[in-house]
Amino acid sequence: MNAAPENVYLPQAAILDRVVAEIPEVKTFYWRFADPAAQEAFRRFRPGQFAQVSLWGAGEFPASLPPSPTEAETFFTIRQVGSVTTALHELRPGDQFAVRGPYGNGFPMEDYHGRNLVFVAGGIGLIPLRSCIVYALAHRDHYQRIQIFHGAKTPHELMYVDNLREWARTPGVECHLTVDRAADGWDGHVGVVGSLFKRPGVSVPMDNTTAFVCGPPIMFRFVIRDLLAMGFEEKNIVSTLERYMKCGVGKCGHCCIGVAYVCVDGPVFTYQQIRKLGEDI
Amino acid sequence: MKARIVARPDVLRIVDLLRADGREVLAPFRGRGRDTYFDTVTDENRGRIELHLPNPYYPPKRYVLPPIERLLRVERKNGGYEIEPTYAEPRRAIFGIRSCDVAGIHHLDRFYLGRDYRDPYYEKRRRHLFLVNFVCTDPERDIGEECFCLCTDTGPAARGQFDLQLMDLGDEFMAVAGTPAGEALFVHPIFHRGTPAHIARRRAILEDVRRRFKTTTSWFAAAIRYVSQGGVPEKTWEQIGNRCLECGGCTYVCPACTCFTVSDRPAGPDTIERVRLWDSCALSGFTRMAGGFNPRRARHDRRNRRFFRKLAHHFIQRELAMACVGCGRCAAVCHGDIGMPSVVEMIRRAPKEAAPA
Repeated sequence: MNAAPENVYLPQAAILDRVVAEIPEVKTFYWRFADPAAQEAFRRFRPGQFAQVSLWGAGEFPASLPPSPTEAETFFTIRQVGSVTTALHELRPGDQFAVRGPYGNGFPMEDYHGRNLVFVAGGIGLIPLRSCIVYALAHRDHYQRIQIFHGAKTPHELMYVDNLREWARTPGVECHLTVDRAADGWDGHVGVVGSLFKRPGVSVPMDNTTAFVCGPPIMFRFVIRDLLAMGFEEKNIVSTLERYMKCGVGKCGHCCIGVAYVCVDGPVFTYQQIRKLGEDI
Repeated sequence: MKARIVARPDVLRIVDLLRADGREVLAPFRGRGRDTYFDTVTDENRGRIELHLPNPYYPPKRYVLPPIERLLRVERKNGGYEIEPTYAEPRRAIFGIRSCDVAGIHHLDRFYLGRDYRDPYYEKRRRHLFLVNFVCTDPERDIGEECFCLCTDTGPAARGQFDLQLMDLGDEFMAVAGTPAGEALFVHPIFHRGTPAHIARRRAILEDVRRRFKTTTSWFAAAIRYVSQGGVPEKTWEQIGNRCLECGGCTYVCPACTCFTVSDRPAGPDTIERVRLWDSCALSGFTRMAGGFNPRRARHDRRNRRFFRKLAHHFIQRELAMACVGCGRCAAVCHGDIGMPSVVEMIRRAPKEAAPA
C-alpha cells in the first residue's frame, strides 16, 4: 500500500502531453503530473491498479492504468461514454486536469512466477490487461509461456495495434487475434474469442497456468465457460472489475458488491471470488 | 469513570459552561407536534432546551458528516487550476445526544477513520466534538414505539464513547465522565460528590426502564446468521424488496449509514466547488455506470443491499459492530414497513416458513 497522503480526496494537477486515437470513441491520453515529485511517486504503481481522474466541473471517474510501471510514460486509454470522459476527450495537449492514486490491489505478479500466463481480452478489456502483459514481458525470465488472445467486433476495433504487432514478433509470445466481422481485407480468424482456443495449432496449457480474462459481460461469461470446460480451476482465472466509484478508498460505498469493496479489495479478483460476490460482471 | 451529582436547576449550566469554553452547543428542541430537532443554543432559545422528548428524526450525524459538504475549491488561473481543500474544524458540543446516536457516531469513527485510508474532513469535524450523552429514562417522552436499542446493545445508557453522560434521577442528575475532557468539567461547583444511594437509584431506574421498552425483541443474532450464511430464501429478499418504495428515507435518517456521492458545481465564473452529498444504496442510480450498465439487476438486489451491508458477519467483523444502533428511525419513516426490526423478523422467520412441511 502506498503511503496515504494527508487528504486522500485531493488530486494533483496533471498536464496532458498528447492524444492518440486508438479505435472509434477510444483514445489514449499521455499525461504527467505538473509536480515531478508526484510523478516519481505515482510511477511505483502495480499492474492492475487504477487512478481517479478529475475533469474540473465535470467530475471524477476511475480509470485503469494501461501502462506498466516498467514503462517511462504514464497514460490512460479511455472510451468516451459519459459526461466526464467526454470532458477528457475534449482536452487538448497542454491542458490541465487532475489525478489521484494509484488505488486498488493490482495483480499479484510475484504469485505468478514460474507459471504460464494466458491473457484473454475482448475489445477494450485489453486496456487493464496491457499493464500486466508489458510487465510480464519486461520480467520475461519469471514466467513460462505467454499467450495473448484478443478479439474485437471488427478489425478497426482491435486495441493497441502497435503493441499487438510487437508482441506477435516477440519470441516466446503467442498472439492470437480474432474479429466478429471481417472487413477491409482481414484474412485472420473470424469468431468469438473463445473460438481461438480450438484453432489448429493453438494449445492452451492447463497445468501451472493463470488465465486473465477481461471484456464485456457476455464475452466474459462465455470465455469463463470455455476455460472451465477446458479444465481450468476457478482460482486460476483472474479478472479485474469495473464499478461506479466516487472515492476509490473504500468510503463512498458505490462499488461495494457482496462483501467486497472493489476499490480497496479489488479491482483484481479470482473467478472463485467473483462467483461469490453475487452480481453481474 | 468518575461520577458527580448535579441539582436539577443546574443542569443547563453545563450548556453555559460549554458555550463559555468557546463551543457551539447543539441541543434538542421541540417543534410542532412530534417534531423535535437539534439546533444551536443561543441566549434567546436556551430556556427552551428540552431533555425529555422524542429523539429527533434527523440524527446528529450531520455535525460530523453534513448532508452537503464542500471538499475542494478549484479556481482557474493562468491556464491552470488552483486546488484548495476546504476544511471545517468547528469546536462543538452536542448536549443531549441519545445513546443510540453516540453508538452511531462511534460507528462512523471506526468506518471513516479506520482501515487503510482516513477521511480528513470527517476527522477534522470530529476532533473537537464534545458529546454530552443523555440516558433515556422516561418511557413516555424518551422511548418511542420503534426504539430497540436493547436488542442492539447500545442503550438506554451508553457504556462509553461520550465525554459526559447525564441521567435523570428525579430531583437530581447523575453526571458520568467518559473522557478527561468530561472530567475536567467537574471542577465547577455545580458538580457535587454522590453517595451510594445515588448509585443504587441509577441501577434501579435502569432496571425499570429496560422493562418499559415497547419493541422488546429484535432477533439480530438469528438474522445475522441467516444473512451471513446465505440462508435467506430468495423469495424473502424479494418480499422485502417489493415493499421498498426507493425513497431513500431509511438511509437519510440512519445514524450509521456512510455512503456518499461526489459532484462538481460552479461557484463563480472561474471557480468550481467539489462537494460530497449523502447518497443511498436504495436508489436505482447508485451502482449504474456510465453507458447505462447496472450490475445490480433485480430491484431487490439494491433494495436489500442496505440490510446485507448492515447484517452480514463479514462487515460486522470489519467494523467491530453491526451498522445498526437500534434507534428505530428507519422503522418510523418507512412507508413499506421494512425498517430494521421488521426485516430482522422477516428474515428470522423465513427459513422456517420456506422449509418443506
